[in-house]
Amino acid sequence: MLSRARLQKDKVTGKPILLYPEGILILNPTAHAIVTHCTGEETFEEIVAKLAAQYGALPEDVREDVTICLDRFRSLNLLEVLS
Amino acid sequence: MPRSLPVTKPFGSIVMNKPIPRPFSLLAEVTYRCPLHCPYCSNPTQFSHTMVELSRDEWKRVLNEAAELGALHVGFSGGEPLQRSDLAELVADSRAAGLYSNLITSAIGLSRPRAEELKAAGLDSVQISFQSDEAPLADTIAGTRSHDNKLEAARLVRELGFPLTINTVLHRGNITRVPQIVALAEALGAERLELANTQFYGWAFQNRAALLPTREQMEDATEIALAAKNRLLGKMEILFVAPDYYGTRPKPCMNGWGNRHLTVNPVGDVLPCPTAGGIKSLRFDNVREKPLRWIWTESESFNRFRGTEWLPEPCHSCEFREIDFGGCRCQAELLTGNAAMTDPACSLSPYREQLTRFVESIQGVTEKSFEANTSSVAYRENPV
Repeated sequence: MLSRARLQKDKVTGKPILLYPEGILILNPTAHAIVTHCTGEETFEEIVAKLAAQYGALPEDVREDVTICLDRFRSLNLLEVLS
Repeated sequence: MPRSLPVTKPFGSIVMNKPIPRPFSLLAEVTYRCPLHCPYCSNPTQFSHTMVELSRDEWKRVLNEAAELGALHVGFSGGEPLQRSDLAELVADSRAAGLYSNLITSAIGLSRPRAEELKAAGLDSVQISFQSDEAPLADTIAGTRSHDNKLEAARLVRELGFPLTINTVLHRGNITRVPQIVALAEALGAERLELANTQFYGWAFQNRAALLPTREQMEDATEIALAAKNRLLGKMEILFVAPDYYGTRPKPCMNGWGNRHLTVNPVGDVLPCPTAGGIKSLRFDNVREKPLRWIWTESESFNRFRGTEWLPEPCHSCEFREIDFGGCRCQAELLTGNAAMTDPACSLSPYREQLTRFVESIQGVTEKSFEANTSSVAYRENPV
């Protein structure tokens, strides 16, 4: 799940943004879709499966996108991995 | 009026061809009052005698106007923001405006009821200053007993689920304690640690001969901090700010004047950075007299050093001008008497030699402890 970050809409551009201490991430549609699943309720594979179904994409492509995105969040210390 | 000109000028007068950027963050200095007396404080050394702090309603308007301009972050700072009894109301106002809020505090006054009140008001994160890793050194630097209270407050902050940043301002008196400070931040469960070498403005400028670390101390600390940063990647973010007196290129101060950031001080003056009030040649507009949008986009003070067109030589033709914007205006003012000069931290500044002489003058200091040295330090005083 995403800890210490808040998802909201930017008033100026209308784009989804992630706010956290001393930082701002402007999310592209892919990252936004992934973030909405980072609630702590779903496992990595469940997120991949749901996004693949939702967007009619191949699970291996989705898995790559989710991995890249979550690695980025992890490097920013925004990701809390629940066992 | 010729028809080719718009009725209202869309941009400020200095940067005619570039749109005015939006601010991303507001520093709300809600009071200059502070229970600590740190000699590296960047607050003004002389406070105005006619200090009437902005009221809650005035701050509410400022917070809303900043959010409308595009600001996404607000830092409540000072002075010590907890000195204001209406802080939770200001936090609630910032939350309602959609701002991500950070309380930048000494933690003195952060009792459990107070912390819970701020949590309920929607405060997002907390940054606590630590003067060192343990009393009595930390208390000596702060000029008051405070370290044990800070430990207690930091634990409370984590218990309530706030993200915690620890900030330690480094100087000759504590820079050898970096390993212990990192260990303290880890033990407290901080998600972020700022190891920021003193920036020499305000009180710190007065005390710079006592505060500037030696080159050897600085190099050791840099190495230790970078090793800790790599070791703790993904667990605790470490920001190490090097002292620019030892650099060869100036810092890109505030990412450019009037580019990303604005500060509103306790009496409502709007500044491009917290220390800009020290620039004597500029008059800063006040939120009691003008809307924030006008000050940000139109005012002379915000446009004077915006962009890179105004830059003097050697900056104007320098390949780094879009990277560092000529450095820091306040530092140019302090070290050359003219805010429009190249920042002397740059090796290309004609004033660099003078700064280097100062840096070299402290290399031979016989190491005395900070405690033994306090007679040569001016502690920060409060506004009257």
